[in-house]
Amino acid sequence: MFRHLNIWFLSSFFISFIVIVPILTVFSSFFENTSNYFEILKNTFLFEYTLNSLILLTSVLIFTFIIGTVSAYLVSFYEFPFSNFFKWGLILSFAVPPYIYAYSLTAFFENYGTAYTILKNLFGEGSYNKYIPKFDGMLGSIISISFSLFGYVYILTRASFLYQSQNLIDLGKNLGFSGFRLFSSIILPSARPAIVAGLSLVAMETLAEFGAVDFFSINTLTTGIYNSWIAFDDLAFANQLSFFLLLFIFALFILENISRKNAKYHFNSRGGFKRKKKILLNKYAAFWALIFCFFIFFMSFLFPLSQMLYWTIKFPENLLSLNVTGLFLNTVYLVFFSSLILIIFSLISNYGNRVSNNKFLNILSTLSISGYAIPGVILAIAFITFVAWIDEDIIKTLGLSSIKKFFIGSILGLILVYFIRFYSLAFNGIKSGYEKINIYVDESAYLLGYSKRKTFMNIHVPFLRNSLLFVGILVSLEIIRELPIALILRPFNFETFATTAYISASEDLLEAAAVPSLFLIIIATLFIMISSKYILRDNHE
Amino acid sequence: MSKNFFEIKDVNFAIGGKEKVKNVNIYIEKEGDIICLLGPSGIGKTTILRTIAGLEKINKGQITLKDKIISSDKIHIEPEKRNIALSFQENSLFPHYTVEKNIRLGEKKISSDKNINFKDIINILNLNNVLNKYPHQISAGESQRASLARSLISEPDLLLLDEPLSNVDQSFKEDIQVELKKILKQKKISTIIVTHDSYEAFYLGNKCALILENEVKQFDDPYNVYHFPNSIEVVNFLNRGILLPAKVTGGDTLENDDLGIIKGKFIKHYPTGSEVRLLLQPEDLEHDDDSNLQLEVVDRKFRGTNFIYTLKTQSNLLIPVAVHTHHWEQHEIHEKFGIKRPIQLEHIVCF
Repeated sequence: MFRHLNIWFLSSFFISFIVIVPILTVFSSFFENTSNYFEILKNTFLFEYTLNSLILLTSVLIFTFIIGTVSAYLVSFYEFPFSNFFKWGLILSFAVPPYIYAYSLTAFFENYGTAYTILKNLFGEGSYNKYIPKFDGMLGSIISISFSLFGYVYILTRASFLYQSQNLIDLGKNLGFSGFRLFSSIILPSARPAIVAGLSLVAMETLAEFGAVDFFSINTLTTGIYNSWIAFDDLAFANQLSFFLLLFIFALFILENISRKNAKYHFNSRGGFKRKKKILLNKYAAFWALIFCFFIFFMSFLFPLSQMLYWTIKFPENLLSLNVTGLFLNTVYLVFFSSLILIIFSLISNYGNRVSNNKFLNILSTLSISGYAIPGVILAIAFITFVAWIDEDIIKTLGLSSIKKFFIGSILGLILVYFIRFYSLAFNGIKSGYEKINIYVDESAYLLGYSKRKTFMNIHVPFLRNSLLFVGILVSLEIIRELPIALILRPFNFETFATTAYISASEDLLEAAAVPSLFLIIIATLFIMISSKYILRDNHE
Repeated sequence: MSKNFFEIKDVNFAIGGKEKVKNVNIYIEKEGDIICLLGPSGIGKTTILRTIAGLEKINKGQITLKDKIISSDKIHIEPEKRNIALSFQENSLFPHYTVEKNIRLGEKKISSDKNINFKDIINILNLNNVLNKYPHQISAGESQRASLARSLISEPDLLLLDEPLSNVDQSFKEDIQVELKKILKQKKISTIIVTHDSYEAFYLGNKCALILENEVKQFDDPYNVYHFPNSIEVVNFLNRGILLPAKVTGGDTLENDDLGIIKGKFIKHYPTGSEVRLLLQPEDLEHDDDSNLQLEVVDRKFRGTNFIYTLKTQSNLLIPVAVHTHHWEQHEIHEKFGIKRPIQLEHIVCF
């Protein structure tokens, strides 16, 4: 190990180590004492929390599997009106976080809500409220999360369908398969690893979801963690609950990793790939394909966007009273610095791993990228626990003044936790760019007289420019939408669009939540549109 | 210090902690000479090149270039400071630069005595049409040639080529071999070439090192490697002859049960009466339709200038014999084929 010691190795080691520390804190806190709240909860709500989490998880998985896979299948294999539009239109669902979807759903279907107004305008006064279905509670959470997250299944499944060679389909036909049998025996099984990978991401996000379930007052493990800290001030119990939730998530993480590895086998090599011919659907089939895709597009994007837009126009005073410039600057400030730090450190860490080629460092990196699987609530609380421990046990023992104020309720702390949370996203994004640079390219550079630093600056960075831009956009998108970390760690009087929307909604001022939500959707949509060509990229195109 | 321009002395070559080739002793006597490393796939030829380039370290022996130790158990000069160019078998062009930019990256900032011209190299390697393209837009053969051009233009003290023409079309390969040899000799660029093509090695190399069974079995000039292989392993690797059981009957004769008396000059002394295995290569035997030694034809391979007949002896041994394709009578399978007697060999190689 030590013969590899150089500046790149040490940088990479240090970066991975920073990311791992809070994760380890959660595990180490498991055995600490808790308040009575633990006993109360263990005997009363723990079962309910777990059951709710499982019901939510299972339902969202079934729902996202159906809409994600069917829509991916339709746009990958068939040509019908607007099929090219839906190809990228369906990923706009990422612009709407589950909690904003939840606000829209409630706003539309609640008593005297938008649905009522529409009916009243169409048919005059009437007692429509009793006929309008109510999508709240568990059902509302399931719908909100599913329409917001199905994009993971859609993107990965579509990519897998695209890489399916025409040869594979021709072979299936040659064996006498057609129609549904071709789909169920050849097409779907060969995309299985991608579907599982997509569903695993959905599962992790669902278990970590805070905004929507909190809005609908559904008690899950994640809201339990938040409440045990906010309401009962019991950090140790919050950590214990986190540990319990992490067991679920790590099982999913392992499943996702295994299926991702297998997914490699489904990418055809250059030589064996034959471009698929899209099938032109007849009028009847094309109509239903169009209806299905439009329904998904409408429900996942147009519906929440229109609802938020409608309220913003209907209650313009909310727009006028909101400090939009301030919120915008805060959001941009946070996004810019977090993304910049994430990109720089992930780039250095990736290069450090590449030049060191050290097993220990590889294991450390693998552990460090598990941060993405850990819900924001848990990370934020683990971070506070860690800072508190350093402060109490080390800083105060040395007789120094407290460091809490630098990390808790500060921009620095917020950026640091964002760094830990989204490090894997940045690290993996850059890594996939690096995988396209043959190791012989580095060696050729050395042999042409380039030092390691010069190889990094003159060869790698220019080549990875597009990957870095894409990673920057992805990370920005996540940070704009992120809620629990910002809620827990933001400085006093520092609000973003997400936190403003949450605060208004939690005070039952849904109309006021519409304006920041609308801005959030618009900014996120712009980011998605810029990066759509990377998200939907197809190496064979 | 070494009297040779480049020398590998008692070096064990390893990659990823796994020893590949042991106790290697090879050298380039004077600047501008070429040596070829021949051996089966996976034996460690590329590892040797990578180590010479400084991409792998050694823990035994030493490697010297121009009287300077570049690798030993204590010294390791970094690759970028060796002035050694390595042209990889795999695509190693920088993906975000055009072919021209890739090649020009190799150009020396200060001109040296070798004075290798960009245009000459491009013409020789026929790269004019791809200069403005990016690596992903060109064929494997073209990217291999571009990589070779970049290495050449860097005017290295030592050039290392790993299967440099393995992806190049056959029709074009021989022309490039001729031009490559010419430029290497003209510009006095000392070169080590890894190849599995023995004909390429025999043509390009001043010396050839045969790497078999984790060691250099023979390091000699191409003529000697071919005609005087020093071990059965070398004979088997070159696959250009068979070993026949024979008994030494005198100072310049031996006898085989099927072929009778064979005369020639022994390259090594064997006492009369010794049981040996005689190396018989396709060009050793002469065809004679009128001979009383007639063997059955079991196979005939057309090799352009020659037919290689495989003949079966009475004791079921299979012997290869080369016959010029302009020989008026072709022999079909199962027909008889006459061998000229007495059999007279240029030299006798036995084991």
